Amino acid sequence: MNIMPTAVIAALLLFWPATSATAMEVAEIVERANKASYYAGDDGRTEVRMLITDAQGRERERQFVILRKNIEVGGRQLFYVYFERPLDVRRMVFMVHKYLDRDDDRWLFLPDLDLVRRIAASDKRSSFAGSHFLYEDVSGRAPVEDSHQLIEESADYYLLDITPNDPGSVEFSRYTARIDKSSFLPVYMEYFDRQGQKYRTVEALAVEEIQGFPTVIKSRVRDLAGGGETLMEFSNISYNIGLDESLFTERFLRRPPREIRR
Amino acid sequence: MIGHKWTLPALKYPRLIIAVMTTLTLALGLMIPRITVDTNPENMLAADEPVRLFHNEVKREFSLHDVVVLGVVNERHPDGVFNPESLTRILALSRFAQELSDPDNPERRVVRRYVIAPDTVDSIEQDGPGQIRFEWLMPTAPTSREEALAVRDRALGNPLLRGTMVSEDGQALAIYLPISSKEYAYQVRRALLDKIAEFGPVDDQYHITGLPVAEDTFGVEMFTQMAVSAPLAMVAIFLLMLYFFRKVKMIIAPMIVALLTVIATMGMLIGTGYTVHIMSSMIPIFLMPITVVASIHILSAFFDKYQESRDRVRTLKEVMDNLFTPILYTSITSAAGFASLALTPIPPVRIFGLFVAFGIMLAWVLTVLFIPAYIMLLKESTLADFGVKGPDRQRQEKVSALDRHLNWLGGFTFKYFRLILILTVVTLGVAALGISRITVNDNPVKWFTEKHPIREADRVLNHHFAGTYEAFLVLESTDQQLSPAAAAQLLGQTLREAGIGPEEKVWAEQAAAEAVAVAAAGDDLEGFFQELETRWEDQLFAAADDVAYDFWATAMNHLVALQGRGEVFKQPEMLQWLIELEEHLIRGGTVGKSNSVTSLVRKVYQELLGGAPGDYRLPESAAGVAQTMMAFQNSHKPDDLWHLVTPDFRKANLWLQLREGDNQVMEQTLADLERFLAVNPPPTALEHHWAGQTYINVVWQQKMVYGMLWAFLGSFVVVYLLMTLLFRSPLWGLLAMIPMTVTIAFIYGLIGFVGKDYDMPVAVLSSLTLGLAVDFAIHFLQRSRMAYDRLGSWLLAKEEIFAEPSRAITRNVIVVSVGFVPLLAAPLVPYKTVGFFIAAILAVSGLATMFMLPATLRLLERRLFKPVRVRGQES
Repeated sequence: MNIMPTAVIAALLLFWPATSATAMEVAEIVERANKASYYAGDDGRTEVRMLITDAQGRERERQFVILRKNIEVGGRQLFYVYFERPLDVRRMVFMVHKYLDRDDDRWLFLPDLDLVRRIAASDKRSSFAGSHFLYEDVSGRAPVEDSHQLIEESADYYLLDITPNDPGSVEFSRYTARIDKSSFLPVYMEYFDRQGQKYRTVEALAVEEIQGFPTVIKSRVRDLAGGGETLMEFSNISYNIGLDESLFTERFLRRPPREIRR
Repeated sequence: MIGHKWTLPALKYPRLIIAVMTTLTLALGLMIPRITVDTNPENMLAADEPVRLFHNEVKREFSLHDVVVLGVVNERHPDGVFNPESLTRILALSRFAQELSDPDNPERRVVRRYVIAPDTVDSIEQDGPGQIRFEWLMPTAPTSREEALAVRDRALGNPLLRGTMVSEDGQALAIYLPISSKEYAYQVRRALLDKIAEFGPVDDQYHITGLPVAEDTFGVEMFTQMAVSAPLAMVAIFLLMLYFFRKVKMIIAPMIVALLTVIATMGMLIGTGYTVHIMSSMIPIFLMPITVVASIHILSAFFDKYQESRDRVRTLKEVMDNLFTPILYTSITSAAGFASLALTPIPPVRIFGLFVAFGIMLAWVLTVLFIPAYIMLLKESTLADFGVKGPDRQRQEKVSALDRHLNWLGGFTFKYFRLILILTVVTLGVAALGISRITVNDNPVKWFTEKHPIREADRVLNHHFAGTYEAFLVLESTDQQLSPAAAAQLLGQTLREAGIGPEEKVWAEQAAAEAVAVAAAGDDLEGFFQELETRWEDQLFAAADDVAYDFWATAMNHLVALQGRGEVFKQPEMLQWLIELEEHLIRGGTVGKSNSVTSLVRKVYQELLGGAPGDYRLPESAAGVAQTMMAFQNSHKPDDLWHLVTPDFRKANLWLQLREGDNQVMEQTLADLERFLAVNPPPTALEHHWAGQTYINVVWQQKMVYGMLWAFLGSFVVVYLLMTLLFRSPLWGLLAMIPMTVTIAFIYGLIGFVGKDYDMPVAVLSSLTLGLAVDFAIHFLQRSRMAYDRLGSWLLAKEEIFAEPSRAITRNVIVVSVGFVPLLAAPLVPYKTVGFFIAAILAVSGLATMFMLPATLRLLERRLFKPVRVRGQES
């Protein structure tokens, strides 16, 4: 009889955090944010103009089209990135099959070399096409890789403090994400290095509702440590256009599908 | 004689004079704590010097920094440092180093993103068939031998790392730490050494080098030297004077004069806002002998004369009458010699020259006022036994080896004057031969002695790696743009030649016509390409079949190729030419390795193709190069590309690793490049420019050599005019130049024969020679003339000259030259050089004065001493 209350208290202590309202809410915020930013619609197409400005103010441009198809919401996804500019990389294709439970498959097609190469993707913290965006900023970081904590809530947003579960696999020690309550889009993220210095921000500069989906149409990464930034602008965005899964195969790397053109 | 009049205030108000002088000096001395040190050899050139502006521009444009190199070597372990333990320590060091910043000034830090270390570089490699992998080379420490060796092999397989981060023998590893400010190098070195000390005794040897470390460490050690060497020299001079003059109270006076001069001059230098550069740190060492020399002349004369009257006022007046003019002139000539350095194009040398000149004139004022005032303040009893007592003179001469020797010398120079003069001519001839062998060279790392850890690091690391000295060769396209019409014509031509099938011929005509039409619309080349691109792209996506698609894709390729023509460093032929240039430089032997866009493109392309060794080559088209670079830019450090080429691909930077930092090595590299360019012009026009610390050193050195030469010739003329004025005779003027000329010829001849490089300290010594060597000649000739006027013949005059005046000269030579011997123990080579050469200059100019001048006077007696001037007896 004496044992019971102790066991109850122990059980309560053990499960309290997991069953608390806040913890539930955090997981939900994270899940909704993940879906809002990377899984809108069944599929989608967008044209992207990327302006890379380095610390010296020199500008470089990238222009590409992204096709995306969700296989499973919050899970497997297919990406097809077709480069238009700079001109000498036109027709270059970067294709990704994204998985949650294993490393992504990535392909690179280099038209002038007529070469298809798979790229190992154990590390997603590498640059996306020489910009300040990382591969993971574009394709999404799996929520399971981090621990999330709600540190602030206002009428408009949630502020999450996020720490990686495997600190050795990433270059940041933690980051914060401000998530807009109405759209659940992360609109401002700050990354901190191992010394606790803020060195990088990712922000949504403009959000528009397209076909009922709140969509970031302009975003920017700033490199606070080295200077420089990349601005990404999205245009001609459309969702649910009926992309076939077969488009996201090696066969279509050499000659892009017509869906690349509007 | 007017001499003593100037000294009268000192004789009348000695206390006041001493009080005023000491106060003024101490006031100036109060400035000294404000000292700022500048050890940056770049500052040998003015800040707006074109080569420096360009160097800074290159650093900015290609995001380059001054680098501290930490090399790790393990000679015990069979795998070198590529064992788990050593690599674990290296990783710890690398992580530690990446976070370094100056707590007092966070702007001074290690620039983390550009660090080259095993955990900060990407490796590109095969990962199964058809798959490549970009990943950090060593994100965590290896735990097994296999993992450690895999790190080594992956690094060796990357031409950008081989010879740079990992030694070619696979034994050693180097970490490159770019720093935001060169002045932070010493602190980085200290921090690393402290961290290394935490490891305790291990088999790894750690070496830290790189020009910034050498320069910054030199600056720190320079001050230890200033605090040790200069006082040591003073002590030595003090002891020698004590030996000659016996009386501590007397010889304290010249020491005080020297001290006051040095304090006042350095106070003035620092107070007027100048930084203390390597050059100006030598001011005390240069001022001391010059100051002491003048005082010794007075003391020596006083010493010899005092006992004749035992009246210090009378003796002082007499001494000053004799010495005032020669001391004034020696001061003016010495000052002129140093002031002439103001004519050089090198700011620190100018400042050095002007402040030494200032110090010399100050020393003159102090000498003629302070020394007599000081003597006046001494108690009569202190002076009672000072100097050579009259009645004892004859006996003394018998005892004094110096006097015996001088007496002999007087006779010898009289008798064998022809032999002396012949030997002089022979010496000059031999010296000329030596001078012709002088090699102009400098290397800041060699400012440290052989055994210094920095030299050790330099030797070890340059043995293992391709070189720790950097030079940057920047190539820039000067190609002109096409007109839209010319571009349209070129495109049409290419398309018509390419079309094979009937359909393709039709499309080719269509495309060509379109190009001409678009070209006619405007003069803007960029607009032309964009418009045409849009039109052809429509055709591409409207293509009905693969044949059409391929045609328009090809047409687009031609368009892109033409548009990209201005991006010269994407063109395979240009990159191929660059490879040949790099190979030529490496064959030349001075360049250990060239890091450029060519190795990066070839390495990435090789891995894209499958990694076979034979595939280490360039893609065949500019688009191929561009796509290879784009593939590279998906790595962790895409910006590494911009160290090697600008984003417009019109400028390329070759980071050359030189194994030696000698200016000669750099000069040979410059010549090697010119030889290559003469025979192998680039495919399209390029300009080339050099940057990098090793190159800058060459530029200032060239300026210095010629600057010094002109300054020297200039001051030679000035001194000659002064001498002519002093002696009221061009011939006497010429005579006064003899010892100095011979000394300079001898010293530089010696430098040539010994093979000592003509470097910064050596260059500056010519001014010192000018100042010191002419000093003795003035005293000797002035006194000779005075004696001849009285006695009427050189035979008689020489007796007097080879007594008191010669004793002063000899004492000077011995005191000052021996006084500088302690400098030879300095751990910094420029101090050793200066110490040795000051001693040599004193000794040689003393000998030259004592042998050559009497010999010449004997030879030219009738010409030099006009009979009308002879008073009294017939010779």
